[in-house]
Amino acid sequence: MVEGAELVPMLGMGIAAVMARRGADMTHLAALLGISAMPVARALKAGSGEIIIGTGPEMWLVISPDAAPDWGESLAERLAGVASVSDQSGGYALYSLRGAKARQLLQKGAFIDLHPDAFGRGSAATTVIAHAGVILWQTEEEAPAFELALFRSFQASLEHWFTVALAAMAAAD
Amino acid sequence: MRIPCPYCGPRDTHEFVCRGETDTNRPDNDEAFYDYVYLRDNPIGSVREHWYHAQGCRNWLTVTRDSQTHEISEAVLAKDAAR
Amino acid sequence: MSRLSQGGLIDRSSPLSFSFDGKTYSGYAGDTLASALLANGVKLVGRSFKYHRPRGILTAGSEEPSALVTLRTGARAEPNIRATTTELYDGLSAISQNRWPSLSFDLMSINQLAAPLLAAGFYYKTFMWPAKLWEKLYEPVIRRAAGLGALSMQPDPDSYDQNHAFCDLLVIGAGPAGLAAALTAARSGIRVILAEEDRLVGGRLMSGTQTINGERAGEWTARIFAELRDMPNVKMLARTSIFGAYDGHIYGAIERVADHLPEPAPGQPRQCLWKIAARRALLATGAIERPLTFGSNDRPGVMMAGAVSTYLHRYAVAPGTHALVYTASDSGWETAAHLLSAGVDLAAVVDTRDTLPAASAALARAGVEILANARVLDAKGKALRRVVVRNAQGRTRTFDADLLAMSGGWSPAIGLGSNLGARPVWSEEIQAFVPGKMPPGMIAIGAAAGRFSLREALEDGVKSVDSITDELGVGGRASETFIADEEDVAATPLWAPSEGKTKAFVDFQHDVTDRDVALAAREGFVSVEHMKRYTTLGMATDQGKLGQLTANALLAQATDRAIPNVGTILSRPPYVPVAIGAFAGHHRGDHFRPERHTASHQWAIGQGATFADAGLWKRAQWFSRPGERDWLETVTREVKATRSGVGICDVSTLGKIDVHGPDAAKLLDRLYVNMFSTLPVGKARYGLMLREDGFVFDDGTTTRFAEDYFFMTTTTANAARVMQHIDYARQVLWPDLDVQATSVTEQWATYAVAGPQSRAVLQKMLPDIDLSNEAFPYMAACKFTWRGLPARLYRLSFSGELAYEVSVPAHQGEALLRELFAAGGEFDITPYGTEALGVMRIEKGHPAGNELSGQTTAFDLGMGRLLSRKKDFIGRVMANREALLDPARPQLVGIRPVDIGQRIGAGAHLINAGAAPVAANDQGNVSSVAYSPSEASWIGLALLRNGPERHGERLFAYDPVRGRNTEVQVCNPVFVDPEGVRVRG
Repeated sequence: MVEGAELVPMLGMGIAAVMARRGADMTHLAALLGISAMPVARALKAGSGEIIIGTGPEMWLVISPDAAPDWGESLAERLAGVASVSDQSGGYALYSLRGAKARQLLQKGAFIDLHPDAFGRGSAATTVIAHAGVILWQTEEEAPAFELALFRSFQASLEHWFTVALAAMAAAD
Repeated sequence: MRIPCPYCGPRDTHEFVCRGETDTNRPDNDEAFYDYVYLRDNPIGSVREHWYHAQGCRNWLTVTRDSQTHEISEAVLAKDAAR
Repeated sequence: MSRLSQGGLIDRSSPLSFSFDGKTYSGYAGDTLASALLANGVKLVGRSFKYHRPRGILTAGSEEPSALVTLRTGARAEPNIRATTTELYDGLSAISQNRWPSLSFDLMSINQLAAPLLAAGFYYKTFMWPAKLWEKLYEPVIRRAAGLGALSMQPDPDSYDQNHAFCDLLVIGAGPAGLAAALTAARSGIRVILAEEDRLVGGRLMSGTQTINGERAGEWTARIFAELRDMPNVKMLARTSIFGAYDGHIYGAIERVADHLPEPAPGQPRQCLWKIAARRALLATGAIERPLTFGSNDRPGVMMAGAVSTYLHRYAVAPGTHALVYTASDSGWETAAHLLSAGVDLAAVVDTRDTLPAASAALARAGVEILANARVLDAKGKALRRVVVRNAQGRTRTFDADLLAMSGGWSPAIGLGSNLGARPVWSEEIQAFVPGKMPPGMIAIGAAAGRFSLREALEDGVKSVDSITDELGVGGRASETFIADEEDVAATPLWAPSEGKTKAFVDFQHDVTDRDVALAAREGFVSVEHMKRYTTLGMATDQGKLGQLTANALLAQATDRAIPNVGTILSRPPYVPVAIGAFAGHHRGDHFRPERHTASHQWAIGQGATFADAGLWKRAQWFSRPGERDWLETVTREVKATRSGVGICDVSTLGKIDVHGPDAAKLLDRLYVNMFSTLPVGKARYGLMLREDGFVFDDGTTTRFAEDYFFMTTTTANAARVMQHIDYARQVLWPDLDVQATSVTEQWATYAVAGPQSRAVLQKMLPDIDLSNEAFPYMAACKFTWRGLPARLYRLSFSGELAYEVSVPAHQGEALLRELFAAGGEFDITPYGTEALGVMRIEKGHPAGNELSGQTTAFDLGMGRLLSRKKDFIGRVMANREALLDPARPQLVGIRPVDIGQRIGAGAHLINAGAAPVAANDQGNVSSVAYSPSEASWIGLALLRNGPERHGERLFAYDPVRGRNTEVQVCNPVFVDPEGVRVRG
């Protein structure tokens, strides 16, 4: 495991915002996504490898490791009539944040309780880090690992914050 | 101040936008619009307000707040609130 | 040297060198600057705020009002630093403040002679006349004469960090009460944060010789500290002041990470600002000792008795060689005993009371002279040399002393407890204000609750945690109790003005005397809040921590009221001074706020772009080329190239919203003034939105890509607000509609390709799409595939030229831009920025930000006919109010100078020819201005009363800010191609 923390961009992923149609059958929607129930403020990995993250009431971000350019459109077809889909593959930058100090670093930026009892494996939150909105989730891996989605225009600012906050943390040790 | 978002949990107010007191439903008759747009009760004590969780789940909440102490007794999704 | 030969929590094996006012001294690790100065016999540390009186060290803590210095040098120099909380480090450099030319010889101390002029309220009245002398004479002189330290005026070279923490219990203060509470809470398993402003825990236990459960206090403290340190559910924040309690159980804290070091290590922040969310908090901040009021009670050598005990025990420093104790409380006798056992010659103990505590007997036996029911009248000497005392029989006696330890009793340190409007209440029993209704979730314990004995503090620490864990339903009960010996803690405060001949200070930092308080009362400032403003008492950086209660009591006496009827002030954050830099954290300079970059940002830098801020976005403003004289030449070239050939502009920052669902059309009909349900698939339409009050909110084009899918655009400035507006409409106004909305602003990189050659460029790049006017007319839209990616093409125009917008997912935006440039090379395609965009929209009379000001209606902007009469929409009712339809309202027109070549400025007011340029004659104002290459003249858009009827009329654009008054002619706001032939060509 990385000693401090490292932020690695995750490239080539398909990303889509999904909102349920009014009165949609959640079980049906979950089945179409290959999961047993739609996650609420949690991140869930389907058998297909797609990650479904609850970002709001009847709202999700779906991330696919499948980088086919038409993935967003095909997801829209798959969910037609049950949920509305907006392709966001170009809209978000994705990062993986790992390392022994990853949680501590995120806590410096986010004013939500990231204690493992409050934010554990599979937990997800939409919040703010360094004045930029982020969607943040802990993966289901054993070792704490976080992933986050950020509107791509904020990338340079977030990476700057990460660099200075990490340096401050390293100097404190 | 922290607002207990029914979806996200307790969050700092800087994630929210306050729209002010909740009002009656948007009127059906044109005569009632002046009240609807401009007049607010501004009470001392318990007040129901609409807050938008702009930096969170993007939902409008109906928040019951004490206008003197800022203590929040309830926050529910506005679409679920009995209006 | 005043250093005692043994004892103290200092490391005698680590000598440190430091300088004060250029002179070098030495101290030890563990010293503060104050203790090290005292150890070196330095008593004179600064000059006072108003009268430039010599001042020394009064306390041993963060309440210090007098020993303020400028610490460090160069850019790191920081004024008004309390020597009493400054940890000594090797090479420390400090200078005294508010003296000229030197500390011991200060010319400004002549202010003392002018003292009658500088009494309370002097700035309200003394210099009012003649007024013209105020700016030239009085203010500069007073500014030079009065004040504290000066800023370095250089950028702060240090960095500041920020952090967040969550806990079940925040314990504020690690004295005996706080330690007992933190340990009890930690053992119960709940999440605990223990914050202590000092570097060491223990609080008052470091200043005395108590025992707890039979164990020496120092050992008890060390044992508890070690246990807490190793517990995973405990976070210890040393050198950390909780400075404010905020709504929702939030606390602000400042951690001094590197202030005890010569300078921070590379990357290390100097300080860290914490936001702490705590379900419960214990205020264990102890108590602050009150000075006594007597003549020249501010002389160096006069010190709080508790501070004397601290210097003796913690720092092994005797602050004097022959001392006198003046007390109204039992604790003063404790200090007397400490002085005696440290070997200091004790001249006398003067008690204001008749009845003396049991401890007095031991001192009497040791041969110390004791005066009961006596008063100190005056202190003498620049640094203290003699003390004039009046004994019970009324006889005056003078004692030689270089140290006067005073104790007027103790006030609970409840500053944080009176945040959030929580009002303290008067306690007859301890004759001080104690916490009343506290901020939600906070409880005061120990001395902060007015329970002054060690036994009570320890008891409170344990019991309060038991009640909190019960209330929260977490953790177990305390398994250990802590018992200390009984002690005398009685005090009978002396609430009386000085009977001495010289000035007696109540607020030492702001130089407010007992007579100033009396003057305020005489002049009618009888509310404690008015007295505070009039005298400035409590308004210095120490916020009246020492003197507030004494002042309240003197005011009560002067107005013949009881103290609880006078009341006291509320404390506001920050409880201790906090550097502004800490609030900014890493967000300073270029990183003050985040920047948003479009997909073409790096490309634009490569093209020599100058950027402008549009909200958080950085947008290319223009692209200068070598040899161009100024921005105007550049922008003029960009406009001409676009209007005559083809230009390209990044318009990705416009807000973009996907509106999905069976009821999408119905929602848009209610959001826009005009109809969208009739829009065919594959077409775009201009839409105008109002606020519910009838004024214009935003505009943009919205395209229908399917029966149940519209793609909306908004202005850059309103993108977030429109999203919020749509969510309000979906969720609150019409939750029954089946409609979903998502911001896709960041998904699409969009480039406007504009100009007569735009079709040729795009047709070359996209040979498979028929771009002929018949197949793809104005306002057409389609989806297509570009390099396998979903892409979109729109025939929209903001410039008034034949134009298109092309979109691809933003991560491929730069690639698209490069391909457009490759295709446009043979047509000399020219990048243009927001300035040229703005020029062209003004030439076309399109309203934008300056016209969509929140004060204009659709009718004002010439778009009244858009308002549908066939449906309801937001703003419909209020937009049709009579006054908003008045043709005399300022409405959109164009203007151009009569004398071509003259400039007009945005913001200028329009005045009829011959009328005086006064507000009553105002006809409207100029909203936007540009140099129009097409017209070869400056042109403008304006909002003019009865505007549409006044085309051709001559007016004056009066612009006092720029010193212009230009004759202009009113015209159609569409300067270029008013028939709209080009966009449809």
